[in-house]
Amino acid sequence: MTDTGIEIKNLSFGYTKERLFSNLDLTLESGNIYGLLGKNGAGKTSLLKLICGLRFPEAGSCSVLGWQPQYRPAGLLEDIYFLPEEFYAPAISAELYRQIYAPFYPRFSPDTFQEYLREFELKGGKKLSEFSYGQKKKFLLAFGLATRCRLLLLDEPTNGLDIPSKSQFRKLLARAGEEDRIILISTHQVRDMENLIDPIIILDEGAIIFQQPMYEVTRCLHVELEQVQPSGDGVLYTDKTLGGYVVVRKNISGEETQADLETLFNTVIANRDRIGELFAPAGMKASAGGTASGAAAKEDA
Amino acid sequence: MEARLVNLSDTISVRRLGRLLRRDFSVGYKSVFIAMAAVGGFVILVSVLSALGRELGPIHFQLYFPLLFIGGFIVTSMIFKEVHLNGQSVFYLTLPGSSLEKFLSKLLVISLGYAFGSLFFYTAVSSAAEGINRVIFGYGHSFFNPFQRDILLAVAAYVVTQAVFLVGSVYFRKLAFIKTSLYLVLFGIVLTIVVAVVGWIIFHDFAVGSHIRLEPYMEELGRSGEMEAVLRPMAEKFLKIAKVLFWGAGAPVCWIISYLRLRETEV
Repeated sequence: MTDTGIEIKNLSFGYTKERLFSNLDLTLESGNIYGLLGKNGAGKTSLLKLICGLRFPEAGSCSVLGWQPQYRPAGLLEDIYFLPEEFYAPAISAELYRQIYAPFYPRFSPDTFQEYLREFELKGGKKLSEFSYGQKKKFLLAFGLATRCRLLLLDEPTNGLDIPSKSQFRKLLARAGEEDRIILISTHQVRDMENLIDPIIILDEGAIIFQQPMYEVTRCLHVELEQVQPSGDGVLYTDKTLGGYVVVRKNISGEETQADLETLFNTVIANRDRIGELFAPAGMKASAGGTASGAAAKEDA
Repeated sequence: MEARLVNLSDTISVRRLGRLLRRDFSVGYKSVFIAMAAVGGFVILVSVLSALGRELGPIHFQLYFPLLFIGGFIVTSMIFKEVHLNGQSVFYLTLPGSSLEKFLSKLLVISLGYAFGSLFFYTAVSSAAEGINRVIFGYGHSFFNPFQRDILLAVAAYVVTQAVFLVGSVYFRKLAFIKTSLYLVLFGIVLTIVVAVVGWIIFHDFAVGSHIRLEPYMEELGRSGEMEAVLRPMAEKFLKIAKVLFWGAGAPVCWIISYLRLRETEV
């Protein structure tokens, strides 16, 4: 257990008698922008809420930056910024918002905040209620980044952002990644997160079935566009696309190919067992992005 | 490695409490001013109209009580509204501040803040109303005296009784005022039934039909001197205990329940 990362051990949690998470293990280390992917109802938002103390585990332990989040201690909350999908922006001016809320965050940087507002083309004197949905979201993102919290939790951050804003968001977030900071992004919009999130965590049926840095994905998987639909044991995943078939195989040639996140996600979901076997040795070696874990991953290995 | 322990500075800090109070005021002051304008207007209008009709009773005494109690209970019922609203609840609960600080900031605003705020506000508004009456009619109602014993006693009673509505505010997602009031009525009915049943069991020997007739027994007790020697001290003791429970225990128990509920809130 460290006071710089997140460590979840044997965590069980559920909304009904049927548990959403059972013996969930997850370790996240600082200095990474993690992407949390999963189908609807996989438990992504619940996991984020457990991490920031909005939900309490039924069993097991959850340590966030050395704290137990279910007590919601002020010391931890000063170091967490959570932007949920359904967010709240009070009907006050952006400047007043900064004056009221910035003092809550000891490391808040007014200069960084102004810089981010400029980049998002937002006016500080305007009332938040006069902003569009996307503008409000950009404002809260700018504020969250300026808090310089060590843990940034973003739930579907690019939903509602226009195309230029998505690009600005990627740039800002890439810059915001610091050595002592963990950014955890839960998203369905994998195309928006391409080349930003790394390592990738995939949550399915209440378990972490995949947690790998992108260099391990490149090392283990070979992705190619082929004209004819292939078959055979070596094929992990195929998908018909414009101009042929995207084919994912085990990388035996050592050639580096780039798997997009959507293809990776579909490959992992379609081959839970085989992906587990394929990445098991690599997962042990991989340390940069945390350790591969989760009940299902353990079973697969 | 053990998880970091939550120490006193993580639980309570005057600085963070001040920030929470400032935030509550900055976000909610407009609604407060609108409510004050509406109540102020109403008080002046009623005061002027009753002076016009030469009904010069203790009007401000009568008007202040509903403002203090009914108004206060309604506002108290809404004080934790943001804990129950989507989006706002996440925002509020993740705001850097311990559950104790969040609870105390709301408690201060709604108990002492509302009680003394309403006292100050009503004194000002009623003085203005009486000033207007005297300018227009040359006479008016007696001025509202905020230091009157009954008024100060009412303020203290408000601080104690509003704690029940504070519990309702944390517990109920919607219609907290109505639900808390209904629960109180229900509690009153249950208490009445319990007292009636216990009374019936104890005094059923004195039953005449469906009524208990204690008069002959009381007369006998009075004659024998037991009424003064035994019953009166016992009744006084009960009254004392009830007073201690009301003034000393009721509110703190409700505050503890509210705080624990806030701490255990999941969204």
